[in-house]
Amino acid sequence: MKDPDLKALAGLCAKCGTCRTVCTLYPERKAEIAVARGKIALIEAATGGEDQDAEAVQEALTDCLLCGRCERACPNQVLVEEIVMKGRADLAEEVGIPAWKRVLFGKVMTSPAATGIARKAAAAGQRVLPGKIPTASGLHYRFPDGLGGAGRTVPKLPAKGFLESLGKGEAAAGEVMLFVGCVFDHVFPEVGRAAYETVKASGKSVAVFRDAACCGLPAMVSGDRRSAASSAVANVRRLREADPGAIVFPCGSCLLMFRRNVFSLIPKGAPGYDDAIFVADRAVDYASFLLSSRVLDRIPDPPPGEKVGEIGYHDPCHLSGTLGKGPEAREVLSRTVGPAFAEMAGADLCCGYGGTFNVRDYPTSSRIGESKVTVAARAGTKVISTACSGCVLQMRDMAARTDPALRVVHIAQLVHQAMFRNDGNPGIR
Amino acid sequence: MNPEALSALRDLFGDRLRTSLETRICYSFDATRKTFLPDAVVYPVNAEEVRQALLLANLHRFPVVPRGAGSGLSGGSLPVRGGVVLSTERMDRIVSIDTENLYAIVEPGVVTETLKLEAKKRGLFYPPDPASLKFSTVGGNIAECAGGMSAVKYGVTRDYVLGLEAVLGTGEFLRTGVATAKGVVGYDLTRMLVGSEGTLGIVTRATLRLLPHPEAAVTLLALFPTNRDASDTVNAVAAARITPSAMEIMDRTAIDCVQAVAQVPLPGGTGSALLLEVDGTNDSAAREADRVEEACRSHGALEVRRASDAGGRDELWKLRRSISPTLLQLGAVKLNEDIVVPRSRLADMFAFLSDLSVRKKVRIVNFGHAGDGNIHVNIMISGTDPDETRRAEEAVAEVFRKTVEMGGTISGEHGVGISKAPFLEMEVGPLGVAVMKRLKECFDPNGILNPGKIFLDEDAVRG
Repeated sequence: MKDPDLKALAGLCAKCGTCRTVCTLYPERKAEIAVARGKIALIEAATGGEDQDAEAVQEALTDCLLCGRCERACPNQVLVEEIVMKGRADLAEEVGIPAWKRVLFGKVMTSPAATGIARKAAAAGQRVLPGKIPTASGLHYRFPDGLGGAGRTVPKLPAKGFLESLGKGEAAAGEVMLFVGCVFDHVFPEVGRAAYETVKASGKSVAVFRDAACCGLPAMVSGDRRSAASSAVANVRRLREADPGAIVFPCGSCLLMFRRNVFSLIPKGAPGYDDAIFVADRAVDYASFLLSSRVLDRIPDPPPGEKVGEIGYHDPCHLSGTLGKGPEAREVLSRTVGPAFAEMAGADLCCGYGGTFNVRDYPTSSRIGESKVTVAARAGTKVISTACSGCVLQMRDMAARTDPALRVVHIAQLVHQAMFRNDGNPGIR
Repeated sequence: MNPEALSALRDLFGDRLRTSLETRICYSFDATRKTFLPDAVVYPVNAEEVRQALLLANLHRFPVVPRGAGSGLSGGSLPVRGGVVLSTERMDRIVSIDTENLYAIVEPGVVTETLKLEAKKRGLFYPPDPASLKFSTVGGNIAECAGGMSAVKYGVTRDYVLGLEAVLGTGEFLRTGVATAKGVVGYDLTRMLVGSEGTLGIVTRATLRLLPHPEAAVTLLALFPTNRDASDTVNAVAAARITPSAMEIMDRTAIDCVQAVAQVPLPGGTGSALLLEVDGTNDSAAREADRVEEACRSHGALEVRRASDAGGRDELWKLRRSISPTLLQLGAVKLNEDIVVPRSRLADMFAFLSDLSVRKKVRIVNFGHAGDGNIHVNIMISGTDPDETRRAEEAVAEVFRKTVEMGGTISGEHGVGISKAPFLEMEVGPLGVAVMKRLKECFDPNGILNPGKIFLDEDAVRG
């Protein structure tokens, strides 16, 4: 390993073992190699010249959800996520990254046009999947056994993405920029739409960011720093050119990218750093924006006594944990659905998605996720709301597998539902 | 290790035997941050597998090093002579909790806090609370006889071990002790195993005494100008016939270290802090807290903060619990000692340590269980300056000599491991060492279990 930062960052680990208490993966693996302390030991050994099998180390570093719970619990504030991501990047240079990821991150996700084409191709491919599961959150298809990720269900992909559904000159410029992200554009365009309509209700002019499709996080966590950096640099430049007063993120992971991770890719002094600062200063989560813009004041009071305690909130690891935005989402929910919102059992447990982790080890990812939604459903939650694209994807799959009546939504959908009557006309006060 | 031994282990453990360099690295360290590579790691799931592993070890003569969470501070779980690390982390069931006879039966890999929480759900109390309780295991706690904050009132791990099941170094399966309130049949083999640092047997099941859970607790944080003021307060509280459930001291450097994770506003002139806790009924805890607060104020406390709700108490405790790992800010290498002196000599020991720090030109940070006279003396060095390292080692030797001279002990709760092996004889004398070696011979004649620990070993030198 060559990154000089890695040795210094890893050297702060006291090997105390606190990370074992919070690691999402540890209960599954029951082995030191799963937790931060073990991974850091591997990196220390590698930077110290121990002759390890690079692929085995890469495998160990990849076996992590990057939920960040260890980092937040660490008494020494060791930057575990940064260490793991840098370690992955270092090893990616040594042993390369899998070809499918290279094409996905380097070619598809950096290009909005290619992402759209990929969705259409996937949507067409879905029609051959035999198992259809109608769930409370929409139709899912089940992968047949024998295909990768047996038992996995995937949401029915829409024919049209959210960005495509916008009129030609619509939302081209405005004081507020909405960064929808790939998933809420291509997979769940209804979330992109709900976020757009409700942000628009602030009375401010709203632009939708459409020049780039991906925030770059998937590439970054896979060690493909080049693709990630190229996404990041282009994104911050274009965002700055648009000169918005605020940039609203319905997805917590995209927000993390622009609030924190971008500075690992574009450090102080690097070209684009000023743009990154400009963006970070204006990047805000969806819930905080609603609270600051008084959109919620315009929602009619929820009917009293209806569905008391049935709606819960799932804390996305980065949004609630790293960025500390859990209270804001809860306030939005309380003011949107009233007593229907209640604290959900196991709200802050990781959903087990972990982006590419879900692809490489679906059985583990789904065990963690099933346990997550089951704990909530058993305690009486009927609707799980959240504010991160990965969490929505994962928990919808888990609900389809365990309890199709359990609905999984983005908080914007609940706000939208409360704000607009069924006939599509605003019920705004 | 010879291939035959590995292949026999493979037959026994299947994919729960790991020999990859990566897994071996992950089991090469503990919280001392020293590293020794094992040849293999095994994850047994029951006592029979532990027994079979030990039988194989005797047949093929490889070392077996038991390991719980690897959070020890004396090197107890370090495979200093290679061999097999036997991790107990997958033997982690609470077998039963008897709410009539007040005991729990647990496997060694149960995390201490898990047991405490399960007991609490039933209104019961498992008192041992080492700072590592959130991750350290009951098996590791037993092997090292872990203490903790509440030892001043409730004692240490050994006071809660009623009986054990263990596999000896020979591979024989031994049951010791009782599941009753008392028992004096024969030698106390239970106590023999507690604190034996994995050198005599591997605990596969423990019967642990539980108490009724106290109804209430009040935590107080008192800030003092000097360590002497704080030490005097400790003795004043004892003299007032109050036994707090914790009396923790932190010197100014230790307080500064945790500021990053546990912000506490400090009045000017703060040089020392005491964290005290009293427990009992709602009334008695409040009454005792008043008296403790009074003792603090009459001994020069600059400020006393108090919390009786869980959240507020946690905040105050965070300050204390975060110290050990955060010390790394002061130096890459920490020589971590846990001496105990008679409580009345605390102030003298602090004076000695501050003088020593000046004389040896090394930074010394002190905190610990003042109510027990147990001070965690941490000498912080860079590890890259040979002269500084030599001075630090001289300082350690002086601390130990002074401790024994004051009628204390060189380790209250961390154990001897490899870090204190050179000083064993200084405290227990030549006959003490000889008798211990005879006992070792009796439990583990082939020297299979955790070789290189407790007794001085050329292969595992200090540092």
